This record gives sequence, C-alpha cells and structure tokens, in this order.
Amino acid sequence: MESDDSEQMRSVVPDTRGKHRILAELKRLEQEARFLQEELDQLEKLEKASAACNELLSIVETRPDPLLPLTKGPTNPTWDRWFEGSPDPSGCRCWIL
Amino acid sequence: MSVTELKERHLAATQTVNSLRQQLNQKRLLLLDTDVAGYSRAQNKLPVTFTPTDLVCCRTLQGHSGKVYSLDWTPEKNRIVSASQDGRLIVWNALTSQKTHAIKLPCPWVMTCAFSPSGQSVACGGLDSICSIFNLNSSMDKDGNVPVSRMLSGHKGYVSSCQYVPDEDTHLITSSGDHTCILWDITTGLRTSVFGGEFQSGHTADVLSVSINGSNSRLFVSGSCDATARLWDTRVASRAVRTFYGHEGDVSSVKYFPDGNRFGTGSEDGTCRLFDIRTGHQLQVYNQPNSDSDFAQVTSIAFSVSGRLLFAGYANGDCYVWDTLLAQVVLNLGSLHNSHEGRISCLGLSADGSALCTGSWDSNLKIWAFGGHRKMT
Repeated sequence: MESDDSEQMRSVVPDTRGKHRILAELKRLEQEARFLQEELDQLEKLEKASAACNELLSIVETRPDPLLPLTKGPTNPTWDRWFEGSPDPSGCRCWIL
Repeated sequence: MSVTELKERHLAATQTVNSLRQQLNQKRLLLLDTDVAGYSRAQNKLPVTFTPTDLVCCRTLQGHSGKVYSLDWTPEKNRIVSASQDGRLIVWNALTSQKTHAIKLPCPWVMTCAFSPSGQSVACGGLDSICSIFNLNSSMDKDGNVPVSRMLSGHKGYVSSCQYVPDEDTHLITSSGDHTCILWDITTGLRTSVFGGEFQSGHTADVLSVSINGSNSRLFVSGSCDATARLWDTRVASRAVRTFYGHEGDVSSVKYFPDGNRFGTGSEDGTCRLFDIRTGHQLQVYNQPNSDSDFAQVTSIAFSVSGRLLFAGYANGDCYVWDTLLAQVVLNLGSLHNSHEGRISCLGLSADGSALCTGSWDSNLKIWAFGGHRKMT
C-alpha cells in the first residue's frame, strides 16, 4: 500500500533536521568564541577607564548648553524663544481631530 | 558526525564561550580604575545647581486622547511628531502649540515615530510589524487622512523603535521584537541590511531601541531585552562590532552621547549607564536615590547638547535630571509644578538643545526650557 511504502521510507531516511540546526548553532558558538578571544587579546593593549573619563570631562566643558545655568559661551538669543510672546501655558486647545 | 557527538561539541563550545566571557569581565573590571563621578570629584568639578524656577514647563501640548508612546523633533527647530495609543500621529509646532497634522494610522497599535531629516516625512511602527512612511506634503485622501506613502515590511515582530539616518530622507533603521534591526531603503521599500537574527550573531531577545551616531551615520547602537547594548557598523551586518554588558534587565532606551564616542542606556533594572565606545568600558552607573527597596524602570533617556545633563524618564512619573559628571540627581521634573500626571514614556531634546519635550501616559506632551539667569564661564 502507498501509506506502508511511505512509512518504510521514513524509517530508512534519518531525520536530519535536528542535526543541521545543532550544527548551525555549533558554528555560531565557535565563531563567538573566536570573537571573544580577539576581544580578550585587544584588552591587553587597552587604556584604563580614567583616560576615557578625562576625555569626557574636556568634551563636556567645551560646548555651549542652553539648559545649563552656567555654560561656556557664546549664547544664542533664540534659546529664549520659548519665553517670548504670551502663549497660554496650558497649551493650545484647538481640536482638529 | 552523529547527533550525540554534535551535542557534545555544542556543550563544550558553550562552556568555552562562557569561560571566555568570564575572563573578559574579570579583565575589564581590572581596567575600571575609576568611574566618571570619582574622576570628576578628584578634579574638584563643581556640581550643577538649579534654582526652583530655572527649568520650567513652558508649553503643554494637548490633543491626544490616549497614552503618548513616542516623540521626535525635527532637525530644524520647532516641530515635533508624537505617537499615541489613540492610533494617531500628531505633528506639532511646539513654539505655537498648534497642530499641523493629525494622522489616523491604518494600524492603531503604534509604538514609535520619527521625523525625517528634511522635515517632510514622518515614519512610525508598532504591533503590525510594519514601518509606515507618511509624506506631510501629500494631499489628503477622500476620508481626510494623510495616505501612507510607503510601507516597509519584513520584520517578523513588532517595530519598537525607528530613526532616520541623519541627512538622508531615504534611509532609516528600525528595531524589532524579532531580535533584529533593519536598515531600509525607503525609495525601494527594500531591506538594505538585517542586523542579527537567526543565522547571524546579534541580540538574543527583543530589540527595544536604536540610536544612530550623529557624526558617523554608519554606526548605531541598539538596546535589547537580552540586557545588552550592541554597537553596529552598517557595512557589517553579520555581527555586532561590540557588545556591552552590565545591565540586569531589559535595555529600554539607548542614546548616543553628543560627541559620538560614548552612549547612554536606560533599563528595566532602574539604572542608566554610560559606556565608552572605543574601549567598551562602562564609565558610570546612575542609580536612583533610595533604590535599595523599590526602584522604577527607566523608560527613556536623552542628553543635553553638551552632555552635562542626562534626562531620564521613569515608569513612576519621575523625570530625573542627572549631572552626568558627578552622577547626582539635580532636579526631578516629575515633582515640579505643572508636571505630568503619569508615566513619562518618551523624551527628546530640540535640535539646538534649548528645549526638552516629554511625552506621558497622561496623553500630554510638555516642553521644558531654561527660564533662569544664565551665566557664562
């Protein structure tokens, strides 16, 4: 019978779907291990956090910032446009929906 | 090779990877000779101090009838697009509080929105797994709606975040619940690159946020429910340039630092962190005050234009203003007069840094600016 033949076929041909998936995952893990080893090797030459902190401090202090009470200049008069005119502080109530 | 042998090799490889990760963590700890706050204190940095009337809410944008989930400013000064649970995008002139567009979305379950660099288009995405583009100059359809000009489909999960590539109206990057980020060519509607996913090295859980480097748009960072942030180079989709560990929960928000060499993260674990891109170091943790017992999840973050201030919205309605150098909270916008009445879900700085917009589950957006006396160094 046809169904008996197909059952016989299934018992002869091994189910390789699980094997391929495990193989793909294994290859991904081996690649991940290589990347991690690369990163570990790079750490030998890496500078400490204090160097990055030093850079951060100098960057932060060079830029004018409209939201700071004390900031490097120059300032820009348009920063204060939010307080010009007399908008209703509760906002526009027009309903266009 | 038999399945049994393969499984043994798989186990061995897993152990190797875990061991290497542990070694990396230990070596990195040794390189953390200080954090930003320790270094700044040693340099006698003066703290930022605000008087009670320095940062004020100067606009409340009312119009949504549901929770606000996302907002984005235009690169030119004053317009904002917002997305809401009410199934609409609204485009606002933040200076005048006027609404210029109210776009009814084909799928109401929107999670994110973005303005194009030219200000002529907006993008949004959500539970439909599609990123939709609307041209704000197009004529309304017969029902008075702005028609969709392009639908970017290909994600196999919700679109959590989207951002246009700076200076390019033709490309944007999305993040998704399908664990990937995608770089799209809007002109063709096709995926240029997929970052991560089943057959590539990438996030292992939903990706919640992206931030593109403003000065080098080939680089972007992503934050995920796998508790990591990852740096990507758009030329290399097969693997992240670097993975940043440290958080103990979903990384809900990532934002580049203004200089492009560092980035900030906000997380479900209640902390914000600052990472250095070149070295991979975690430079600072921003722990909520009184966080031993009860802490609120961070929903969104943004830096002021100098990077001295970090704004962080939390699930309990707080919006802390952090002094990034001394790691101290200098203000809580959530406790000020006229503040939101619900969770702050999104926030962003205007292009010139003169205003912060916050969006909330109370259905409003608010604009905050400095109204005090400004001194120059």
